[in-house]
Amino acid sequence: MTLSTRKGTVNIVEVNRHDNNIHAGQGTLKGLDIVFRKFRKALFGKANTERDDTEGQFNVQYPEERLVLAEAYRNMPILLYDDATGQELCTSCFQCERVCPPQVIHITQAKHPETGKPVPAAAEFVLEYDTCMSCGYCAEVCPFDAIKMDHDFELSTADHPALDVHYTHLLRPVSYYEAIAPTMWAEVRDAALKKLQNNIKRRPGNIGVDHGQKIAGKSSAAAPKAATPAAGAAGRKQYTGPIAKVGTSMSEDKLARLMAIREANTGKRGGPPESGAHAIEADVATNAAGQVAPSDQATSGSAASKATGPVAAPGKNMSEDKLARLMAIREANKAKQGE
Amino acid sequence: MTYWPVIAVDAWIGLVLVSIIKVTLILVGGSLGMMFLTWYERRAIAYMQDRRGPNRVGPQGLLQPVSEAIKTMTKEDITPLDADRVVHFLAPVVMLGATVLAFAVIPWGNLFPSSLRVGVLFIFAVTGLHTVGMLMAGWGSNNKFALLGGMRGVAQMVSYEIPLLMALLPIILLSGSLSLTDIVTRQGDWYGFGWYVFSPVGLTAFITFFIAALAEGERTPFDIPEADSEIVAGYLTEYGGMKFAVFYLSNYMTNLALCFIMASLFLGGGNGPGVTALGTVLGGLLSLVYFFIKALALFFLMVLIRGTVPRLRVDQLMGFAWKFLLPIVLVNVFSTAIWVAITRWGPQAQIFTDWFGEPASDNYLRYGVAIVVTLIINLLAVYAVMRINRRQPSDLTEEEIALGLAG
Amino acid sequence: MLKTEELQVNIGPQHPSTHGVFRMLVTVDGETLVDLKPVFGYLHRNHEQLGEVNSYLQNMPFTDRLDYFNSMVNNHAYARAVEQLAGIEVPERAQYIRVIMDELSRILNHASALGFLLGDMGAWQTSLLWGLREREKILDLFEYVSGARMMCNYSRFGGVARDIDDYFISEVKKLMQGLPRYFDEFERLLVENEILLVRAKGVGVLPKELALSYSVTGPLLRGSGVPYDVRKAEPYAVYDRFDFDIPVGTVGDVYDRFLVRVEEMRQSYRILEQALQQMPEAEGGHINPKVKQQSLKPPVGESYARVESPKGELGFYLVSDGSGSAYRYKVRAPSFINLSALADMCKGYKIADVVVILGSIDIVMGEVDR
Repeated sequence: MTLSTRKGTVNIVEVNRHDNNIHAGQGTLKGLDIVFRKFRKALFGKANTERDDTEGQFNVQYPEERLVLAEAYRNMPILLYDDATGQELCTSCFQCERVCPPQVIHITQAKHPETGKPVPAAAEFVLEYDTCMSCGYCAEVCPFDAIKMDHDFELSTADHPALDVHYTHLLRPVSYYEAIAPTMWAEVRDAALKKLQNNIKRRPGNIGVDHGQKIAGKSSAAAPKAATPAAGAAGRKQYTGPIAKVGTSMSEDKLARLMAIREANTGKRGGPPESGAHAIEADVATNAAGQVAPSDQATSGSAASKATGPVAAPGKNMSEDKLARLMAIREANKAKQGE
Repeated sequence: MTYWPVIAVDAWIGLVLVSIIKVTLILVGGSLGMMFLTWYERRAIAYMQDRRGPNRVGPQGLLQPVSEAIKTMTKEDITPLDADRVVHFLAPVVMLGATVLAFAVIPWGNLFPSSLRVGVLFIFAVTGLHTVGMLMAGWGSNNKFALLGGMRGVAQMVSYEIPLLMALLPIILLSGSLSLTDIVTRQGDWYGFGWYVFSPVGLTAFITFFIAALAEGERTPFDIPEADSEIVAGYLTEYGGMKFAVFYLSNYMTNLALCFIMASLFLGGGNGPGVTALGTVLGGLLSLVYFFIKALALFFLMVLIRGTVPRLRVDQLMGFAWKFLLPIVLVNVFSTAIWVAITRWGPQAQIFTDWFGEPASDNYLRYGVAIVVTLIINLLAVYAVMRINRRQPSDLTEEEIALGLAG
Repeated sequence: MLKTEELQVNIGPQHPSTHGVFRMLVTVDGETLVDLKPVFGYLHRNHEQLGEVNSYLQNMPFTDRLDYFNSMVNNHAYARAVEQLAGIEVPERAQYIRVIMDELSRILNHASALGFLLGDMGAWQTSLLWGLREREKILDLFEYVSGARMMCNYSRFGGVARDIDDYFISEVKKLMQGLPRYFDEFERLLVENEILLVRAKGVGVLPKELALSYSVTGPLLRGSGVPYDVRKAEPYAVYDRFDFDIPVGTVGDVYDRFLVRVEEMRQSYRILEQALQQMPEAEGGHINPKVKQQSLKPPVGESYARVESPKGELGFYLVSDGSGSAYRYKVRAPSFINLSALADMCKGYKIADVVVILGSIDIVMGEVDR
């Protein structure tokens, strides 16, 4: 049936109510049949990992298996500091505090110890995690890319006051964020680090690095080289890296294919993370000799520190040799792309 | 057939000891069976829904029911302030008692706790007590949802109990006995494949009995008294902790009992190929294996139905049971009589002997004729009942609507 | 006829099938319903007042929390209202992205709504979990593109927050290979199930005239036989470029609503196919770069924008006094208005039917109470 209106014609279909069919139990039998088919498929352990798959077990055995979070995934905001120098990226410009819909960000600006004038650094930064709605506006508006959205979602606690998170606990090294969101960081890295250099010039003394000292794994700001990616993530819970897209229950070759696709995508999306010079690259390379370039942190971290660092997602549950094979595949893929 | 071993030490001491052992075995076996069934159901239904089900506690989650039992036992026992304390307390006892009583005569394979001559009658007499417990729970809780659930339970019992018993009549006609022992033994012919379900009358009886048993065991689509999406949990609403667990236990033990009964009455109990050939001990073990396979397959069918269909409304169940099941079951009793006449009557009806030869278990002509005749009668009955029930409310005249025939 | 004492039962606010904190004060005679009074407001979060205090951009994540199944659609509707108010151009590509998200939302909403409806009917979650399986896959895609599964916060004024990439499109295409199989198996499972037929046919009939007078929208109205769909009545975004049908029912009972939803999923699939095909030719980026998102100050005036949310016509009404936040902000929530017809639909049916009828309306309390 078609209906003509001023705005054009509208096709109307009347739904079939099956009024004229004889219903003698065959409808129920049809249902039983398809449910039994499902049962059969799932019973023999067919896994449902592909997006076009409608059969087999589709649940993920958390916490042993984890879904891989998308790069854009946003949970709670974190603040970044430079691995190499411990300089915080935040300049306390109050943009995030202003845009925050539930108004959970509270910043105190740092003052020059002598003149008392405000300097581009935050003295205190409090975020009420319990009221935060994870909208991601703070990360979106931040002109210095200092505030980013974390991927850590295991935040449940019985200690409610601890959810008013202070500066020292909000800080993460840049390499941590780079590990969880390589392409997103690659897009903004150069500009962000340049802005940071400009800001450092206006920061007297130790302001803007002070908070970084308190992070576990860093002895002092004078020895920033200790801040390897793995160390930056030390003390945090394990989290899966941003490599695979679908899940941990996939087969070897499937994973390899996926990697290839992802690598290709990364390339397409405007520069793979491994291109371009990085401020801490040299430091890290000298520090942890034998490691692959930090651009490939996800992989190297898992190999070197055995799943304490930012691990490639599928690597977590794998045995040693499986992991080794996976690395080989990745290396091959990279070589293929003429890196 | 094997009776439970009786050691003749001293007549009465032996009797007492054996009885105690039997009772313990039944209670333990029943509860363990119930625990296994909950796990089995949850795993099976999970696979139907592309999930995995409980798989953490113990191997494959087998100990999940144990952990849940511990949990419910350690919970606080709450009686609502305005509840009728005595009735509220007694309701689960009555429920469980009715179920356990039924287990007294239910065979485990070819082994019988006690061979009552009127076993079939006994089972349905005591399981009928269920409804009393349900109503007690519904009334004693002093909760509106519970009351609705209890009343629904009674209404449901009124609907399904008659087709349930009527569906049994053909089996009693076929076997000529009310004793479960005899009924199982009679199905041992033809290399252990003389199950009643293989005849048209037996099949009809099985299907109708199965449907009614779903209602008896409060399984979907007839879980009306505890319809959780409608009346919270029905008569269970005000129960928690151990009392709730007792209800749960009784419910699943009833289901287990029904599966056992169906396996014994229609699927030949422990009979199967090789049982008689292997002798008493090995054959007895084999019969147990056959029996459990049959019972669990029946339970799987129940789970499959639960995983597929929605719930009926209470008035629809009543209409279905009275307008659809009952006529078919009655016709089935009639056609069973014909079956018995054709296959067994020798001297009583000389004309059958003239036409088809002497009655004997290898007189296939008689069985063939009986199958054809009863099949035709049953199919005609199903067709006629559906034809009559197919009438929509809009087809009725105003007079009929005024008389209340519309629903 | 024999009259017995009537019983008043509170179904809700804590009840397994009231879809949130919703209370129905029900008077029953035996099992038959005599009267029903819906009581709500348990989830009131002061949404409209907040919208008058927040800046325009700040209000966007709050619209996620209205109908939390379809935050993408809510974002779209709100963004449209603000765009109308401030006269913002939206690039074509952004429109296509929004349409894709809307239609994916519609599929996931109907898949779960039908599952919940059958769950209310007593089918033991099988259809629900099959629906949730498809929903999960779509939510994963939402997460990939927007950063969150349910509270997407994806639209911005003049476009969307992030562009979609080739990976996303290839995954949507992959998803769409599986969807027809899901539709088929769902229909096979239950559409002709005898028990569903007796439970749904002739239950909760909402006649055409009554539906119109209550101003209900969405599958509820279409189930009653009125072919009203905002996507056709007032084509927004790029909906005028797609060829799709409007499924309507004939009787207006639960079964019609059920079937309309099943058919709408298939129509959404058609739209998705066409949108993916046309999108590469669309011009512009994913967002209009000229718009000042944070400090948007629309000129004095008012606007009303509506979209076809999976639950019905979702409208946002905004009045601007020229400042950074709205002077008046009003949401026309489809769940709320559809719910008003509940009492008339339920009278005379059994208690067991009430939850089914409620399920067939497909409400979300976040949207009802706001």
